[in-house]
Amino acid sequence: MLFKTLTKKDFRSLVEIILQSNEVIGPKKSGTNKDGNPIHKFLPVAKFEEIDLGYQTTEFSPKTYFLPYKENLSTYRFENGEWEQDIRYRIQPRAIIGMHACDINALLKLDKVMARDKFPSPYYVSRRRNTFIVGIDHEPAEKCFCQSVGADTVTHGFDLFLTDLGDRYFVAINSDRGFNALAKVDAKLVTEKDSHDYLAVRAKIQNSFKTKVRIDNLPNLLDIEFESDMWKKWGNKCLSCGSCAMVCPTCYCYGVAEHVSMDFTKGQKVKQLHSCNLVDFAEVAGGHNFRPTRSSRLKYRYYHQHRGFVEAYDEPKCVGCNRCGTVCLAGINPPEVIADLQAEGHGP
Amino acid sequence: MKYLRLEPKRPRIGVFDFTSCEGCELQLANHEETLVPFLKAIEVVNFREVSSYKGEDYDIALIEGCISRDDEVGRIEKIRAQAKVLVAIGSCACFGGVNRLKNAYNLDEANKEVYGDKPKSTAKVRAIKEVVKVDLEIPGCPINKLEVERIVQCLAFEVPFNFPVYPVCVECKQRFTTCMMEKGQLCLGSIAQAGCNAPCPAGGLGCWGCRGPAPDHNFEEFMTLAKQRGFSEKEISERLGFFGGFEGRR
Amino acid sequence: MNILLHRYDITQEDDFHALPDFNRKATLQHVDKVYKAEITNIIRLTEMEKLFHFRILDPKERDTFSFLPGQFVMLEVPGYGEVPISISGSPTNKGYVELCIRKAGVVTSMLHRAGRGARVGIRGPFGTHFPMGKMKGSDILLIAGGLGLAPLRAPIFHVTENRSDYRNVHIMYGTKDPSQLLFDYQYKQWERIDGVNLSVIVERADDTWKGPVGLITKLMDGMKIVGDETYAIVCGPPVMFKFVCNQLGKMGVPMHRMFVSLERRMHCGMGKCCRCNIGSTYTCVDGPVFDYWSVMNLKEAI
Repeated sequence: MLFKTLTKKDFRSLVEIILQSNEVIGPKKSGTNKDGNPIHKFLPVAKFEEIDLGYQTTEFSPKTYFLPYKENLSTYRFENGEWEQDIRYRIQPRAIIGMHACDINALLKLDKVMARDKFPSPYYVSRRRNTFIVGIDHEPAEKCFCQSVGADTVTHGFDLFLTDLGDRYFVAINSDRGFNALAKVDAKLVTEKDSHDYLAVRAKIQNSFKTKVRIDNLPNLLDIEFESDMWKKWGNKCLSCGSCAMVCPTCYCYGVAEHVSMDFTKGQKVKQLHSCNLVDFAEVAGGHNFRPTRSSRLKYRYYHQHRGFVEAYDEPKCVGCNRCGTVCLAGINPPEVIADLQAEGHGP
Repeated sequence: MKYLRLEPKRPRIGVFDFTSCEGCELQLANHEETLVPFLKAIEVVNFREVSSYKGEDYDIALIEGCISRDDEVGRIEKIRAQAKVLVAIGSCACFGGVNRLKNAYNLDEANKEVYGDKPKSTAKVRAIKEVVKVDLEIPGCPINKLEVERIVQCLAFEVPFNFPVYPVCVECKQRFTTCMMEKGQLCLGSIAQAGCNAPCPAGGLGCWGCRGPAPDHNFEEFMTLAKQRGFSEKEISERLGFFGGFEGRR
Repeated sequence: MNILLHRYDITQEDDFHALPDFNRKATLQHVDKVYKAEITNIIRLTEMEKLFHFRILDPKERDTFSFLPGQFVMLEVPGYGEVPISISGSPTNKGYVELCIRKAGVVTSMLHRAGRGARVGIRGPFGTHFPMGKMKGSDILLIAGGLGLAPLRAPIFHVTENRSDYRNVHIMYGTKDPSQLLFDYQYKQWERIDGVNLSVIVERADDTWKGPVGLITKLMDGMKIVGDETYAIVCGPPVMFKFVCNQLGKMGVPMHRMFVSLERRMHCGMGKCCRCNIGSTYTCVDGPVFDYWSVMNLKEAI
């Protein structure tokens, strides 16, 4: 990997010249919650000032720019007793500024499912390749447990990645696009002091995680405790509202529905993100439901995150951002659920 | 669909209002860009907001409003006898709607409160299904025209229509709407049936559950978490009772 | 000064110039492009099920489309939806695809109303298949319950068309009552094939029924088989798998010689939508055909 440094003023210039010709998405302050804390969302920005790089977390993950909640898969035209199919992929490029390591790691996991597995999704690949990503290091929020799932650092999957050294950014460059963009501003070669400062900042970040979750034994434990009562306990709390999957940066499941226009001349095949907690997730034609209870669906969510995904890709699906734990009205959150599971595994 | 070698049937539709604001009927005549094809896809036999023609040979009766007077009973029974399919549209027809609030009071007092010394005939508010058999319920205050269009498209080919089975939370999230509970407001979104595309929270108002409860909703947990957030039992109960969809659950 | 991010059009990549072909895994292609297919024939089977013959209209696409017994397709009625349907026909039949469809939801209801000449979309074939090659030289048990005869019909075709590759063949089929029996017009034909034994059972008889009455496992009572020289294919509702496979186990058939076809909700067929996921396994790409050991090893599989 190549590294350079960039003054904050030059970084601002870089974003501004990207903004001149491209859509730019960034963490934007969007109101406050009931306790007066700011709420951030990844939204289109019109000027540099709208980007708040000091954000702790965002309510929604930036996955929607890669896996939109609703996406048109194909359009049909009906005419003279015949139909024609039309498929388009999004190829309008854009930049996302200020993604945290966990969210970029989430993209790497999605890449494995959507871009590398048996049938790559052209819809995803097109969006992914047309998105310029600038990541940024940050001090972990209190409930973040990305370190526990190995998602606190990221080595690829982005174009540029910034670490704040106070007066300047230490920039990791991971693509020719990123390299060329940096050439437009006055990026400097890395000095010994830069490297030293960078490593010090990294060490500080690494030592400041407060929430820790043990996951190494989960694949086995999830099988052993499959019938455990703890699933009923948490399942009874679950609202089956799907919010966890909606805000999750790696949840990718979906449903497909089709619609016709009122004059019966056009049809649309639309993909809509779903959630394994919703009641009809595993219901088949004829009405049989393979996961009829809330607890079986909640359990499946954890099972997929920490057992199924591990078996397929040798890593958990979870990146430890705890957005699901924050959004859940019933207070179901991975650190507590997993701690409960661990306690169950060790007996009374 | 012609490509299936199928001609759509034009369902012969009658629209009738009972105790209501007629807002749902207005919704049927709304959404101008598709109004012409919508009215082409159906045959309006009786719908006074659209046509002065008053036929009696409808197959599908759309019923707006609840039953709140004794004379309405005979009228709905007559419509039921004529209609092959009877559809309740809107929260009033499906649950009794806002009108149902009256049931919490003494009928004579309510009558006096509203009509003063010129009382009108009035009875306890009932949803349509409490009076006659209902084949399909399209909830909402008002109904969602897009959903009605899709139902008509299914009726045209006599195939089933599937309502979303998830709560409003999904639609809020998919619109990037910040959770109303997170903002400190009471919101029924987590237990209320979706399909409206969550316009209220997007406009800054917590959900009032006009479409009734979502399938498999977790009422007990909702009560627990709402109280934990400092909402009083009275406040929650009033919210649940507002459209009548949660009748019996508060 | 300005940075215009480069537009990257993936459809310019070489792979996109070929027809979508779901046998070419791991290639970037138009995965949602459907083959246009015409309903050439409709055969009424019962009140609820019809057999459709679909001819893929484009000759090149028709040539590309080849499947093995046990695989399924995604069948699309444009504007109304898409459903997974297992293929009921013979793999050697290049002229048309046979799908047995039960009227259940929006898409299948539309199909049941559609007429000859109607044009729909087909994607696929998807999923794993019954290992017909490995089964050569063995006795074959083909067991179906209810709608399970639809997917089982493909291996029945394969076995009868390659009769000399297999030893004794037992076809066992059971339904709730005689009115639900599928493909009854073919039983006589199957029975007459050398070394093929067909038995049919119903749970509730009516006045016309002269055959045996009871559960499908009753047909296996007293049957003599050599477990290590027998393969079994079982298709039907999940509850049937346990009973039938347990009985087969008692009769000496090892778990890795029993194959079942699982039914799950599917919205893509490509291991993406997650709806058919069982733990770590996608029914659409790792299945729908599994050996019984894999099924036992999957939580919530049956």
